[in-house]
Amino acid sequence: MKKFIIVLLLICLVLSFASTICAAKLRFAFMPGIADPFYFTMEKGAKAKAEELGVELLVGEYPKAWGPEYQVPILKALVARGDIDLLFTAPTSTEALIPVLKEIHDSGIPVITVDTYLGDGDYTKPSNYNFPLAFIGTDNFLGGQVVAGQLALLLGGKGKVFLENTNPDVSSVMGRELGFRAGIKIFPDMELVGVEYCLDLQETAATQVSAALQKDPDLEGVFGVNVFSAQGAHQAVVTAGLEGAIKIATWDATETLIEALKRGEVDLILAQMPAEMGALCVEWGVKHLTEGAEIPRKVIPGFFVFTQENVNDPEAQQYIYK
Amino acid sequence: MAKSNNDFFIDFEKLSRNRTILLVGRNWAFIFLTFMLILFSFLGKNFFSLKNFNNIILGVSSLLLLASGETFVIISGGIDLSIGFVMGFVCISSSIIMRDLNAAGYSPIISMMTGSLIGLLLGLIPGFINGFFVAKLRVPPFIATLGMWGIANGLAWRLCEGFPVGFLPLQVRDVGNAYLAYFSPKKGFSFLIKPELTEREDILNLVKVIPIPILLITFILIIFAFILSRTRFGQHTYAIGGKVDAAIRAGINVPLHLIKIYIISSFFAAAAGVLLVFKLNMGVHTQYTSSYELFAIAAVVIGGASLTGGKGTIWGTLIGVLLIGTLNNGLMMMGLPIFYRYIATGCILIIAILIDQFFPELVHRE
Repeated sequence: MKKFIIVLLLICLVLSFASTICAAKLRFAFMPGIADPFYFTMEKGAKAKAEELGVELLVGEYPKAWGPEYQVPILKALVARGDIDLLFTAPTSTEALIPVLKEIHDSGIPVITVDTYLGDGDYTKPSNYNFPLAFIGTDNFLGGQVVAGQLALLLGGKGKVFLENTNPDVSSVMGRELGFRAGIKIFPDMELVGVEYCLDLQETAATQVSAALQKDPDLEGVFGVNVFSAQGAHQAVVTAGLEGAIKIATWDATETLIEALKRGEVDLILAQMPAEMGALCVEWGVKHLTEGAEIPRKVIPGFFVFTQENVNDPEAQQYIYK
Repeated sequence: MAKSNNDFFIDFEKLSRNRTILLVGRNWAFIFLTFMLILFSFLGKNFFSLKNFNNIILGVSSLLLLASGETFVIISGGIDLSIGFVMGFVCISSSIIMRDLNAAGYSPIISMMTGSLIGLLLGLIPGFINGFFVAKLRVPPFIATLGMWGIANGLAWRLCEGFPVGFLPLQVRDVGNAYLAYFSPKKGFSFLIKPELTEREDILNLVKVIPIPILLITFILIIFAFILSRTRFGQHTYAIGGKVDAAIRAGINVPLHLIKIYIISSFFAAAAGVLLVFKLNMGVHTQYTSSYELFAIAAVVIGGASLTGGKGTIWGTLIGVLLIGTLNNGLMMMGLPIFYRYIATGCILIIAILIDQFFPELVHRE
């Protein structure tokens, strides 16, 4: 029995060496934040780029909910195999993921954070979270400004607008809010008449926008920062019977929202570029590992704006999250 | 109790002999609601209008259903924490059925009917399980329904993967947002069918009377208020909440009755879920759906029910729900940020508990 175990261990040892030697090509791991179309699209972009560059891509199981308690166990299992050359991941907490990713970094696996970041996302200054190679993702503040600008364009640069936000304790949507506030200020004839938080409850969003409409019957535009607040805003507009008269802008080109745009329920969608983000992670990772290239610490792939006019264009279809 | 212990406190017995205080204490929620309506009419821009009252009542319609079901449970001395997520679960399930049937080519009416009906039936299951655990296995209601809270949440998330269920037949929205009657200065009266208007001015001036969902809810509430106040079933509910031993001695089948009560609560949650689908033209479930049950419980308590059981009415709960809705809406119209509105709701709840605590015989003298 003892001999058998020793032989078995030896075989395992040899096999594991063999597998390391065989793996001449790079092996990257992607750990998504949550099971949703945004990250599915990111994976697709990364996969395409990985095939093009001859990189093997491992994808961690998609967590069913957002948060380190769901993500960390899967992440640990993913890197436990020990033969990964680079990890790119969307940390689900700016704080809780610092020690976890630091440990992975210290074990010799370079880390890129994508979509979300550690600390305040600035990896250039000295801190305990500046070890990742780069942050590749959206600048929510910039996106908020873009929405403000596009909404102003739709409204002819004047009128009252309202912001329906979700959670005052989430950095991404607060970034959008601050950007939107700053963007609206640029237009002297536009006024932000109110900001509400619906906690991702569509019914609450509808109630809040209804009240805003009641307070300011000449309201012309609403920015709903995600699907729940935008659909709630649309709900309120339908209840008031003002479809079309009030422009609704929103964020993230999910199929649900694209359908809403086609139906005329929303008027403007700011799409992030998740596929682009995934591809950039793979591309920069390969450059760094094979050529020793210096990666910019912050990479922002930009936005695509969907409107009624371009939603059916063939070249716009690639930006829909699927 | 030693008299000296009471010297520190106000003599509530003496107070409750005063007629005015008695009247105010019994109806404080109603008086407060009236006071708020007057106050906000002066302070809030465009607060006092039919349109805004429609907004308020539509805004709390799901909460009203949830709270009415919860009233039964709380009167029986229990608590049901699962209703928020049961609502979310039913909302997701019935919207998925509507979406898939519609996609498969069935007519919108059949899709909607089947989705709603299956949703309502699905809602009976969590209630039965809750009731079974509470009544037969003697699991404390808090724990049993918290278990169901988790199960319903998990199931709903599994079904929708954290995303809203869209692509429903458009008629869903038309049904959920219909009014009984419309009056336009230009086009006159019309029943059920919304007049076609193009000018923004005309649209804003359109008078809409009685939302259809509210009409249905009123109908359901009248039936259940009757059951609670006029039937033997209602009497037994109060009896079990008042003194369960006495109820058993009186020959009431307490376990069976409790199971029925939890099914009622769950049925109301399911109705709220189906209502949400029609209102939003979508199935939605997020982790915040669970904030609903807490506001439902708050409304029941504000409405004069006692968390120890045996007291409460559907009409009290209605006042409680309207109070929460009006407070939120009014403060919003005054332009007060959301943070302060939470504080205000919290303060009102504390007042309700204090009154229940210190004036028990005053509020609930039967």
